[in-house]
Amino acid sequence: MSVFWPQDPPESLGKAALVVIDMQVDFCAPGGWVDQLGEDVANTRSVIPAVAEALAIARKGGLAVFHTREGHKPDLSDLPANKQWRTRVHGLGIGDEGASGRILVRGEPGFQIVPELAPLAGETVIDKPGKSSFHATDFDARLKAQGITHLVIVGVTSDCCVQSTFRDGYEHGYQCVVLEDCTAAVEAPNHEATMDILKAFGGRWGSVSNLQGFGGAVGGIHD
Amino acid sequence: MTDVFRKIDAHPYAWPFDGEWGSQDTALLLLGFQAGTVADLQAEGEAEIAAALAASARNTGVAVVATRRGYRDDHAPAATRRQAPGDRIFKVDTPEWQFVPTIGLTGSETVFDHQGDNAFHGTGIEAWLRGKGIRNLLFAGLPTDGLMHASQRAANDMGFECLAIRDACKGTSAARHEGQLRITAFGNGLFGTVAMSEQIISAFSR
Repeated sequence: MSVFWPQDPPESLGKAALVVIDMQVDFCAPGGWVDQLGEDVANTRSVIPAVAEALAIARKGGLAVFHTREGHKPDLSDLPANKQWRTRVHGLGIGDEGASGRILVRGEPGFQIVPELAPLAGETVIDKPGKSSFHATDFDARLKAQGITHLVIVGVTSDCCVQSTFRDGYEHGYQCVVLEDCTAAVEAPNHEATMDILKAFGGRWGSVSNLQGFGGAVGGIHD
Repeated sequence: MTDVFRKIDAHPYAWPFDGEWGSQDTALLLLGFQAGTVADLQAEGEAEIAAALAASARNTGVAVVATRRGYRDDHAPAATRRQAPGDRIFKVDTPEWQFVPTIGLTGSETVFDHQGDNAFHGTGIEAWLRGKGIRNLLFAGLPTDGLMHASQRAANDMGFECLAIRDACKGTSAARHEGQLRITAFGNGLFGTVAMSEQIISAFSR
């Protein structure tokens, strides 16, 4: 019986992973791609302290920690033509040279995770070309190799990569929880619509909780 | 014989992005038009529109694909626990699991079965589409915020050029339908584009 996990708690905290989605300079820092497009990074930046707190809870509790980064190979061989076209309409597309290096290209300054949330040694970083962390990556294999059964998902953006990873986590058989106060969208109405969709009918693909619930759930399980 | 179609004046951009589409590289996907779901969502109207789209697609040689969601006793617990009202997954071979007769399947369609919401997960549909040389996908499905969007999201990641047919989809609420389609079109089509069935049928018939 658990109000935090969708069905039941993990057998031990080592079977749960905190998954931090795309907290990259390009999405949530001044000088990154979203900022250069003239969009406001206030929403995506605003969750950095909460995500840091989630990381602290996970590290203290002994959960596995995964970070993801969205980006493409330097030769753009993994970039669909329509994705490049769609982003270039904004004036600065994937692969183009910007203030923080080439947009969403692996290895560039803008592709890095913001310094406040830098991965620690021993944590896994998954580089992904799509929105779902499961698409064209070894994420599922890495989780299974570590015996992970439960995912706690945070990061940006809620309507895009967080929602995709949450839905696909369900498809792959993981019990998934999104922490509502540790995720945001570029535009608030899209965040609110996403939360309404994810919460409907008690959570079709998993549950929606928050930092307090996460802290309680981790405190209630002992290895 | 290959028909070439004119661009659709979709939201937020004229679709497909490069104007390249015809009967040989396009498929119409009818997702989750099952008796129980149509009844739960009161989506008879959307099913009738899906039937009209399918008839028009057949006339032009566009592939029609139908998918249905269902669980079996040996499926993952995640599928079997989805019994709550609103967006239920039905047991395979029950009357509620069957395709609703309204969509007018003729037996010429290719059918894919899936146990979750993402019709591209573990079904082989991607390999089938690639094998046929299909890259443009038209989405009709129920519910908008469930199975339909889960599948469009996955197809978009795979690089397919996607269009959601607004009036051939219905959400578990009007707000969720609108919200999901707004997210689809955000950022110049983060997950593809949105248009009406009449625009598709009109393009097919020219």
